[in-house]
Amino acid sequence: MTRIRLTGLTKVFDGGVTALDRLDLTVEPGEFFALLGPSGCGKTTLLRTMAGLEQATSGTIRFAERDVTRVAPGDRDVAMVFQDYALFPHMTVVDNISYPLKVKGRAKPERTARAEEVGRQLGLEALTARRPSALSGGQQQRVALARAVACRPALFLFDEPLSNLDARLRLEARGFLKRLQRELGVTTVFVTHDQAEALALADRIAVMESGRVRQLGTPREVFARPADTFVANFIGSTPMNLVPAEVEGDRLRVAGGVFAAPQGVVAGSAKVTAGIRPEYLRLHDAEPTDAPDAPTGTVSILENLGATTLVTVDCGGESLSAVVPEDAEPAPGSRVWLTPQPGRLLVYDNDSGELLPRRDPAG
Amino acid sequence: MSPKRSTAAADIGEAAARKTAVALARRVGFYAVTCLISVFFALPLLWLVTAPFDASPAYAIEFPEPTLRNFETILSNPYALPSLLNSLILAVGTALFVVTGAALAAYALSRVRIPGRDALLYVLLLLSSVVTGTAAMVPLFLMVSEVGGAIHPVLGVDSHFSVTLVMTGGLLPAAIFMLKDFVDSIPPSYEESARVFGASPFRVLKDVVVPLITPGLATIAVWSIVNVWGNFLVPFILLRDADKQPAAVLIRTLYTEAGQPNLALLATFSLLYSLPVVAMYLFVSKKYGFRFHGGIKS
Amino acid sequence: MPVPSRRDDAPATAVTGHADPGEAAFSAGAPRAVDSVGLGRARALLFVAPALLLIGVFLLFPALWTLYIGATNFERTGPNHVNPQVTWFDNYVDVLTDPSFYNSLWLTLLFVLFSAVIGQNGLGFWLAWSTRRLHRRVRRVVESLVLLAWILPSSVVAFLWIAMLDQRGGTLDALLGNPGTAWLVEYPMVAIIVFNTWRGTAFSMMLYSAALSSVPPSQLETARLAGATGGQTLRDVVFPHIRGHVLTNTLLITLWTFNDFGPFLITGGGPGDDTEIAAVYLYNTAIRDGDLGYSGAISLLILVANVVLALAYLRMLRRRDSS
Repeated sequence: MTRIRLTGLTKVFDGGVTALDRLDLTVEPGEFFALLGPSGCGKTTLLRTMAGLEQATSGTIRFAERDVTRVAPGDRDVAMVFQDYALFPHMTVVDNISYPLKVKGRAKPERTARAEEVGRQLGLEALTARRPSALSGGQQQRVALARAVACRPALFLFDEPLSNLDARLRLEARGFLKRLQRELGVTTVFVTHDQAEALALADRIAVMESGRVRQLGTPREVFARPADTFVANFIGSTPMNLVPAEVEGDRLRVAGGVFAAPQGVVAGSAKVTAGIRPEYLRLHDAEPTDAPDAPTGTVSILENLGATTLVTVDCGGESLSAVVPEDAEPAPGSRVWLTPQPGRLLVYDNDSGELLPRRDPAG
Repeated sequence: MSPKRSTAAADIGEAAARKTAVALARRVGFYAVTCLISVFFALPLLWLVTAPFDASPAYAIEFPEPTLRNFETILSNPYALPSLLNSLILAVGTALFVVTGAALAAYALSRVRIPGRDALLYVLLLLSSVVTGTAAMVPLFLMVSEVGGAIHPVLGVDSHFSVTLVMTGGLLPAAIFMLKDFVDSIPPSYEESARVFGASPFRVLKDVVVPLITPGLATIAVWSIVNVWGNFLVPFILLRDADKQPAAVLIRTLYTEAGQPNLALLATFSLLYSLPVVAMYLFVSKKYGFRFHGGIKS
Repeated sequence: MPVPSRRDDAPATAVTGHADPGEAAFSAGAPRAVDSVGLGRARALLFVAPALLLIGVFLLFPALWTLYIGATNFERTGPNHVNPQVTWFDNYVDVLTDPSFYNSLWLTLLFVLFSAVIGQNGLGFWLAWSTRRLHRRVRRVVESLVLLAWILPSSVVAFLWIAMLDQRGGTLDALLGNPGTAWLVEYPMVAIIVFNTWRGTAFSMMLYSAALSSVPPSQLETARLAGATGGQTLRDVVFPHIRGHVLTNTLLITLWTFNDFGPFLITGGGPGDDTEIAAVYLYNTAIRDGDLGYSGAISLLILVANVVLALAYLRMLRRRDSS
């Protein structure tokens, strides 16, 4: 199993565009690692630089402590699955899967045997004689995975492995991919723009923007405590409530009401941005006794999300949204009070947009 | 019903009738014009179909006295078949040069960011439309007859090789352009994928690139062959020896000879000479579609 | 699929959609790698070299050499062949004071205007627009006839037209009851104009067919629902969409027709110099009369006209692509 270590990695394109900006990153052996970000954030460039398809402008890439920064792609012992799969249209499935072995000079019987074995492992045994054009999108994706698996690399690199599949197939392929990675235990880096995919698949996620890593952490960390307002906006299927607020000692004035401020984020008073996920906001149909002065307003929009409902509340000139179970849905126009779940309220600096850490009063 | 209302109704009926009559007249007129234009295009072509099978063809199109004798006669003509062979040599030779040169250049220009590439492509496009056979007639004639001939007879007049080179130079820019478009439409991930698996550049070219661009190469080959096969001016200027002339030039000596041209010979030869072009057109249009197919952006 | 340029002696221009190198190079989006195959710049240059060499020797060099030839009194035979003198601008002065040059210029203008700009353009558009209403099979037959006129070798179609127009019982005479009209002698310019319209309409027809298919059907249907006549639909709905195509097509066929050598095969420039259009005039002075220096000057003038037309064409393409 291979550890990846990137230090000070920078990539500047000919036109002067900086795609990667002094990036430091370590991917642990056997980890399933996601590079997540909007298009143009540098995530694909980073993957291609790891594969050797792009030359780093400066910095180093180490695979298992071996410096591969200037090594040709074919000598890095990696396998890459492309977004469009790049299955050779003039070769059959079995020829496609065994092509990497052919390049490595293995004898034909060995290649075919391995290709068929891997094909079986991935449920492709009935398709080996077909051409890629005769396969469905999901089958093509499996053939591309099989081709990567067949060369037993030290490292998998996947570029948007699921984005060419339709929504239903994507869920299925997601489970398949996760199981496959667990079984093989090979260090895997994949690129995605879909936060749900990253949360579902990855052991750890690097959220990227403008060639830099904005946050590095487990899916739970990234979801629960986004490191800045960019990440907060990007992660989560319903956008986080981000509203102007004011800290006054241990009170946080927000949306015409008051929340208890997280401990020790700001000394004294300051203007900040309060952040709370709709999933972590509670609705009350009467003023809660333990939280006097909680923000209150009227229910304006209800959006059915299936088992839950997204409720938009107009309070104190702000719109706050909350997710409630289907049986706790308030009536439109009714008056409600809002309180955060304990420990879920986040406070961001207004200038830098960064999360202000909680501080133990003792520390 | 008041008389006033009934006239109004009659008026409406009359107007409607007039409207259908006008529409009908327009329709008839439209078909008449379409027929006329079709006849305009068909009439000259008809002779090419009737005369070769006519025992005694005249200038006018007539229903032939059916015979295949004319084809026997043409086989025994000392110039006819050799000239078709000359056409074939020139066409295939040029196509080989054009396809090889254009494939290498188009691939490199599409995939590798060479400095000055955009300017180069622009100049190529400009050259291909500016330096026509007509505009370059004088310098090309001089180059081949004075310079080429002085270096080696193979590069001089009456040499298939020099005609081939001149034609190649003229067709290459457009061929590079068309082929580059074709290569641009193939995602580079195929080559990148092979590269990550450890294939050397030569291996990537052999295993992946050549199979992928074969349809494009075939199109360029057919396009070159059709162009050279029909070209008159270049071989007309550069080939004086009747034994070396392609059909395009030889056919003219058949009909401008003093006295009455042998119409049977001419018609039959014309048909034989035209058939490959029509066949290749059918091949290309069937296999790749001859239309622009959205190639033009609006 | 680019359309093969099947015009004898006309420029082999690739009529591709992405004919603009600037646009083709980098569209918006992420910057791309220098080299996606690992070929390397050195090898890439080596790949480009053979083609560039051939183009340089057989296309670029002749164009530049024309400059020199036009500035000498070089001739095909005689003392000026062995020992040509540099005469600087004498040839240009001669050309520009020669009535035969103006005769050729005038004939070329007539030829281009009537056979290409009006004839091919108009007929091509009419065919593209009106055949859409025909039954598919009928339409294919009409289109095939028009295409056939375009793809057949020029030597063959030239003789087909000689047979059509011959005085001694050509098809046209036969149809008109054998009046014995020598069309090629009495109306030579009309003859080659009609011939060239017949020969080249296919290109315009195909271009306009493709252009018309880019007009959104919903807009045509909106016009029909609003009760617009055919003419109104053309003016208000169709033309705004294909304006760019009309201009580029006109420029392209003008360039081709301007350089067309085809009529030589029918009339040889005659009778006398009645059909001596630019290409034929150049051939007659250079190859027939052997006056190479003088014809070099004419070549240069033709090249300059071609450059102007081609630059206008490329500009149009670029503007259309960027809009």
